[in-house]
Formats: sequence, structure tokens, C-alpha cells
Amino acid sequence: MTLIVRSESPTPARTTVWLEGRLDAATFGDLDEALRDITPLVDNGGTLVIDLSGLEYISSAGLRSLAQLRRHMHDRDNRTLLLNPQPQVKKVFEIVKAVPVAEVFASVAELDQYLDHMQRQITG
Amino acid sequence: MRLRIPNRLEDVFLALDRAELTLDRAAIDNACRADVRLVLEELLVNTVRHGYPDGREGQIDIHLEIHADIVRLELRDDAEAFDPLQHDPPDLPGDIADREIGGLGLHLARSIASDFEYARDTHGNRVVIRFDPSLSDEPSP
Repeated sequence: MTLIVRSESPTPARTTVWLEGRLDAATFGDLDEALRDITPLVDNGGTLVIDLSGLEYISSAGLRSLAQLRRHMHDRDNRTLLLNPQPQVKKVFEIVKAVPVAEVFASVAELDQYLDHMQRQITG
Repeated sequence: MRLRIPNRLEDVFLALDRAELTLDRAAIDNACRADVRLVLEELLVNTVRHGYPDGREGQIDIHLEIHADIVRLELRDDAEAFDPLQHDPPDLPGDIADREIGGLGLHLARSIASDFEYARDTHGNRVVIRFDPSLSDEPSP
């Protein structure tokens, strides 16, 4: 099993990337390559959602790719939010304290609610 | 399962798939299977990347034993001396994009294994790792 990366940018403000399979020392290069095409599509101040529902496994090599992505997006004033990590991925995140808990969401509804809230804070 | 692989990344991943298949056939649950895969990946990738700085060919032996209450993994290699237990855990929390990849991987491996032993003899490095299949759902402290 390898890694499948899909993405969708319904608006320049929000892009979603779906990861499926394993993100490890054999596949992290595929993600880095796909992201090089995807991240320029996100407007400054926009949100990149990484949907992890289909990601079964992550190792330190994969964590590093995600961390670099977060930093890259942060440098451009973008947010990176993680959606629905599965048990192994969640466990690895917890051990290395890889991601602030506030940036991980269990469902699309929870994530939309957060983004609505952020939007209201900006416009209100 | 007993395997001897050359010190190449593609062989590491073939070994990971073989180990996972072996655990699957023994009806080891998903969580423990993933734990063993992760520890194996972190240690073997580390050995292949850093253990042979002179570029020589090396050999890594993998021995996986499955018992009712314990999964035992033994790794032997002829790489440079390296004790994974002698390295300090990386600073947590911090930006993992900045951390050295080996440090992070070893930290994960040590956190997940129930028990971790290292020895060096005339043949090279020897690591023995034990997993308790009943504890796999919880990260160890």
C-alpha cells in the first residue's frame, strides 16, 4: 500500500488535501511533491485542510513533512488544520506532541464551526 | 519470522511488509501491528541512513517472535556502534520541522515499545524490543 494524495480547491480561501494509505520514509517524497503544486493555490490568509480519514499510518518521516507544510503555510499567513486522524496517527501525534490540539478536528462539522467562528471574529 | 536484508531502503520496506503479514496471520490486532511496523521502520531506516557512513554493504537480521502475551523483535546489524537508548529524547513540544529526524523517530520507537534492550558484541549491534499486544491502544509514558 502506498500513499494517495487528492486535493480540491473550491475557493482560493480553502483547499482540502486528502491523504490515503501510509505516510512514511518511502512515501513522504510523494506528498512533498504533490504539495508543491497544491500550496500555491491557497490565498494568503487562507486555510489548508488535511483530511486524514484515509491515512492509516504515519512515521517520523511523514510527521516531518506535515510539520514543514505547517511552517510553510504559517509563513504565508495561512492556517493548516488537520481533520479526523485515525487511531495510529492520533497516537503518534500525541507521543511527539506534533500538532497543537486546537488545530485537529474530529469532523467536518466541527471544523466548519471553528472556521465560521474565526470568520466572525475577523468580520465582527 | 527470520529475515536477513541488505542495508538498503527498498529492502527495509519489503521487510516491513513481511513483518506485517506475519503479524496479521497470527491474528495480532491492528494497533499492535502498527506499533511493530513503526518501531521497525524507525530503527531500520535509522540504521540504513546513518549506520554505514563509509557506504559499505551491510546486513541486518530481523527476528520476529509472536507469543500469546508478547511480541518479541530482535534486530542485529553490522553497522557502526549505535545505542538507541543513549540518545536524549528531543525537546517536546517544539517545532518538529526543526528536529533532527533520527531523534524524533527514536523517541517514537522508545515510547511505543514496552521494553527496549541494547547490546553490542563482536557481530555488531543487537536490539531486543518487546510489545505487549494488550497495551497497544495506549501510548506508554
